[in-house]
Amino acid sequence: MSYILNTKEDIREILKIIGKNSLEDLFSHLPKEIVLDKSLNLNDGLSEQEVRERIKNLSLKNKPISEYNSFLGGGLYDHYIPSAVKYLSSLPEFVSAYTPYQAECSQGILQAIYEYQSYICLLTGLDVSCASLLDGASSFAEGVLMALRINKRSEVIVSSLIHPEYERTLRTYLSGFNFKIKKVGFTENGTLNLKELENLINKDTSLIAFQSPNFLGYIEDIEKIVCLAKNTGALTVMITNPLSLAILKEPAKFGVDIVCGEGNVLGGDLNFGGSCFGFLATKMEFVRQIPGRLVGRTTDLNGNTSFCLTLQAREQHIRREKATSNICSNSSFNAIRAAIYLSLLGKDGLYKVALYSLNLAHYLYERLKEIKYISFPFSDYFFNEFTYKISNSKSFFNKLYKKKIIPGLLLNKFNFSDCILISCTEKKTKEDIDNFILTIKEIYE
Amino acid sequence: MNKLIFEKDNKVPCSYIRKPDLDIKEPSNFIPREFLRETLNLPSPGELEVVRHYTNLSELNFCVDKNFYPLGSCTMKYNPKINEELANLENFLNIHPYQDNKDLQGTLELIYNLEKILCEITGMSRFTFQPSSGAQGELTGLLMIKKYNKIKKNKKYKVIVPTSSHGTNPASIAMCGYEVVNVNTTKDGLVDIDELKNIVDNSVAAMMLTNPNTLGLFEEDILKIKDIIHNVGAFLYYDGANFNALLGITKPSIMGFDIIHLNLHKTFSTPHGCGGPGLGAVGVSKEFVDFLPVPIVDKKGENFYLNYKVRNTIGRIRSFICNFSVLVKAYSYLLRLGSSGLLKIAYIAVLNANYIKERLKQYFELPSEKPCMHEVVFSCKRQKEKGITALDIAKSLIDYGIHPPTIYFPLIVKEAIMIEPTETENKKTLDYFIDAMIKINEEIDKDPNKIKNSPHKAPVRRVDEVKAARELDLAYKPKDVSNFCDNRDV
Repeated sequence: MSYILNTKEDIREILKIIGKNSLEDLFSHLPKEIVLDKSLNLNDGLSEQEVRERIKNLSLKNKPISEYNSFLGGGLYDHYIPSAVKYLSSLPEFVSAYTPYQAECSQGILQAIYEYQSYICLLTGLDVSCASLLDGASSFAEGVLMALRINKRSEVIVSSLIHPEYERTLRTYLSGFNFKIKKVGFTENGTLNLKELENLINKDTSLIAFQSPNFLGYIEDIEKIVCLAKNTGALTVMITNPLSLAILKEPAKFGVDIVCGEGNVLGGDLNFGGSCFGFLATKMEFVRQIPGRLVGRTTDLNGNTSFCLTLQAREQHIRREKATSNICSNSSFNAIRAAIYLSLLGKDGLYKVALYSLNLAHYLYERLKEIKYISFPFSDYFFNEFTYKISNSKSFFNKLYKKKIIPGLLLNKFNFSDCILISCTEKKTKEDIDNFILTIKEIYE
Repeated sequence: MNKLIFEKDNKVPCSYIRKPDLDIKEPSNFIPREFLRETLNLPSPGELEVVRHYTNLSELNFCVDKNFYPLGSCTMKYNPKINEELANLENFLNIHPYQDNKDLQGTLELIYNLEKILCEITGMSRFTFQPSSGAQGELTGLLMIKKYNKIKKNKKYKVIVPTSSHGTNPASIAMCGYEVVNVNTTKDGLVDIDELKNIVDNSVAAMMLTNPNTLGLFEEDILKIKDIIHNVGAFLYYDGANFNALLGITKPSIMGFDIIHLNLHKTFSTPHGCGGPGLGAVGVSKEFVDFLPVPIVDKKGENFYLNYKVRNTIGRIRSFICNFSVLVKAYSYLLRLGSSGLLKIAYIAVLNANYIKERLKQYFELPSEKPCMHEVVFSCKRQKEKGITALDIAKSLIDYGIHPPTIYFPLIVKEAIMIEPTETENKKTLDYFIDAMIKINEEIDKDPNKIKNSPHKAPVRRVDEVKAARELDLAYKPKDVSNFCDNRDV
């Protein structure tokens, strides 16, 4: 099977024109020792019908989250996606195009990315957003590297309450360099220990990296963190859930320098955690250090508004080893999908998604309080997610899982023993929550 | 020009979201006011406006489904539609990576099967699918080499790249804290072996190589290069961006590569989506299996699971697992093709490029006389002497409904124009392209201004990129600050 259109005649004719006797002849200049003498040990090609059946059958071995009453989050949330998002994001002119290097035949892509950049700026309050990065964790690592480039200091202070996979990714990204990473702990509120932070920070501190709402779900006192950073001239890199910014104050208003994170929450499917996209926004003064593509608005030969990639002199295809990042492929398609999602929901819709998630999570919190075996190790304000504790959490978890309820994310493997991170999206109902509570009561009482 | 979405605000209330059966309270009931935002200036145009807006925008783009797209080094082949359909199966889409392993068996089995196929195609021992792009694959590979040397206490700090390499190669080397050493190419366009011998010493950790290289030429001395690199205890890294030319012909392992990346979004037909998401699958020889990022997918008995126990793992390069949707598309494609289908890709990709080369070589200068593989690079030097640049020629092609080839790359060729037709285009399309190139070349003498001022038929005329960089306008700034509290229906 193949997707080749050249006929035997075409092939014969071309071979004649280029002076070759056979297709094999095209490779006659390759060293004999490396040319395979037998075909690859793979199956023969299948018909489309067989491929569809085979892969569909594979998918049926999965048990999708829709079969559960799920409260699973931890950086990836099951939000409602309007049909028009899926429809528009399957348009072939977005799917099967490449990076818009040639502006004149890519105006639609460029304008859509410009609109995406504008949306990220509106949500974060910052001046500049890149055209997208690969995913939340790598956009965080890029944000940290960016801050290190800006002030050329040697130490990084990282909150203990950023997503553990983000911290691990950061450590991988920094493993080629000699920067010092210091971790700052947290209080019983479930937020950063500001006293400890004050003691850790010094003139070598390049940046403070934190997440808000943090990994456990709690909202950090951003103003105080930024204030401590500013005292020593350090920068702040903040990971956030962009949906939370529908109700939480723009990070720029607190003076945060770089805001980044996972954009999948804006209209992306769960899809086993991919494909995702990373977003990253910053202040205009740092624009020349931003990683990734940037789309700018300009004019054409006739003075009409048009768009193109800009400040490309930061990028690898021009600067090579002196580039701000090695990033080339990004996740523009998913970023455009986020712009489509935001446009469809509008300000009223996005606010509702955030507001309902907030209300449902707090209703869930109140209901969980009724269970005497459950405690709440942390007390700070939260958005759509919080942490509870129950002894023998693993067995509690398995019992509920069997009853088709996923009671959140077990944090044992992240070193918060017997803690469970639980979240609500607007897809949850009061009934879902009531059933969850009822089931716990049935098991334990 | 199309208005921005921000200029189409109708203040349409949203009815996508079900209101929970609760007494909905304002955020200030839960969170102190000083943490809350005052305004949210998003447009609310309503569904029809949004559908029209993005449909109209989409129509301004060239894409593989509409246009010949011979963008060199990017392998813009046809993206079969079955791949899209299968990647969108509900039971794949609605899977959270933190669900129990037993809920994920179909997803994990697909990853496991795909890995096996790629191992057979490349001869590598294992793959990681974490890197979401070729460049991230390069970084992953180099970090594995760095960790290997750290454990072995080898003092190595240099990585060699040809001057013709992709820009991502040196950029990845820099991100890994190694020093970039360039090796020149001979006038034939291949790595200068004598210079390589002089450069190489015990401080070299690796050499990164694309083969066929960015001039579209096969590095015929690959086995000599391998020996030179391996003799100093360094490793050979394969930038697999151009692997399309070699499917079923040879394997990177046979050429002596230790770590490789494959751009699934190039060779295995997963679409580029305006620049991504992609996936840079990294394959390793036995020596590096213990260094792969975690998790990897393994099988115990009949069960597939995410294995986090990799002894010397470099850690993670991203959150969650991988760009799974890309894997479904690549897997579907590979099942469709099978071994003979893959070989035919290499044959026809190389055939098509050689056809363009043969037909255009009397009009445009060839930087090398060597036979080309899947792509051909010309220099527009002669045209430049008449005042017409590679950029002008590229822009003229837009008027023929052809997406311009890659231009000004590789950097070592003056006025480079790099054409990769791919195997999915037929002779008729290639003839149309060739005729267009010849016509443009003729017009340089007859009507140079027409070329200089092209394109003429695109949605916009030549875009002022200098102005874009000088007068930065990177985001729409809302003029009216409407209050957050108005027009809400909660």
